[in-house]
Amino acid sequence: MSDTLLETVLEPGGLSVVFQPIFDVSGGGRRLHALECLIRGPKGTNLESPEILFEYARRKRAEAEVDRACVATALRVAAELPGCPDLSINVHASTLGRDHEFLVFLGDTAESHQVSLGRVTVEIVEHAFPWDGPRFQSALAALRAIGVRIALDDVGRGQSNYRMILDCRPDYFKVDRYFVQGCRGDFYRQAVIESVVDLATKFGARVVAEAVETEGDFDTVTGLGIDLVQGHLLARAMPASKLVAGDFLRPTEPPGGAPGLADPA
Amino acid sequence: MAQRLLLIDDEEPILFALREYFTAYGYEVDCAREMEEAEALLANVPYAAVIADLRLTGSHGAEGLEIIGYVRERCPWTRIILLTAYGSPEVEAEARRRGVDSFLHKPKPLPEVAQIVYALVGSPS
Repeated sequence: MSDTLLETVLEPGGLSVVFQPIFDVSGGGRRLHALECLIRGPKGTNLESPEILFEYARRKRAEAEVDRACVATALRVAAELPGCPDLSINVHASTLGRDHEFLVFLGDTAESHQVSLGRVTVEIVEHAFPWDGPRFQSALAALRAIGVRIALDDVGRGQSNYRMILDCRPDYFKVDRYFVQGCRGDFYRQAVIESVVDLATKFGARVVAEAVETEGDFDTVTGLGIDLVQGHLLARAMPASKLVAGDFLRPTEPPGGAPGLADPA
Repeated sequence: MAQRLLLIDDEEPILFALREYFTAYGYEVDCAREMEEAEALLANVPYAAVIADLRLTGSHGAEGLEIIGYVRERCPWTRIILLTAYGSPEVEAEARRRGVDSFLHKPKPLPEVAQIVYALVGSPS
């Protein structure tokens, strides 16, 4: 029995992972683009909820240790998936800015599970300044040098602001659910999304609409030029076994073809 | 929906007793054993009231006082009760300065604690 919750989180088997597909819906099709690896905390604890897990990690100032454990868990499970799908893994900006050995850890872990780093996108999340800016920038450059792509999570909220966009120069802008949900009938949300699409285009980046849960919002975000979509409408987060059983890992799908609407379970 | 309480104590028997008691009354109850765990819950879950011990295992010394400040700043609608065996007048004065709603000395019979919770937040649903 561990003395503290943090030890429970970090011990082998403390974390689990589910995967949410991100689909490329350009041309009317639904092709799997990548899987976002979503971590769950130890079962039966308050930290099973990811929001509480990561808030706890930040309050413990243990983002780096927890991020390492998350990366290890995600890559270990993802390595067993058929079809070598691309993977998107959340990492705190502060981890990149403070953990000098994180890149080595990522490289070694990927190699040990035979996961090519070319399949990996690091999704930058952050909730508080400050971190070591120059070191953060160096870490991003090093990630790119080893083939890892960069996504900026929760664009438009919290610290995922213009400064962060400039610092990260992300390959993907992930539009936060706050702007996506209800955008169908909201001129102002549409204006914000449109501005993100415009900005991403100028950065040479692609935009992912998160938390798309209705046909109306789907039609709206795609109509605004977003062709990467994730959310319950298309597929819920699911464990690896369900991902395989649900045939989500086929390399391509014909336009309008499966996988269609999410299993409501 | 039932009102939700957060119990914060590092002594498992006390947590167990409080949880069982308030659950039986019809409240939804979460438990935290560390200050950071409590803060993470408070950042994500709306609570009608927090019942916190003054001292938790760790290096902070008087985490209960810090929790009062955290609750007052982040969740001003949440009532807070400090339950402690180290209730000096100085500590009580500091707790009241920080905005505690009720300061109780351990041991305190559970029905009395329940009466205070009821007076602060009302019935469970």
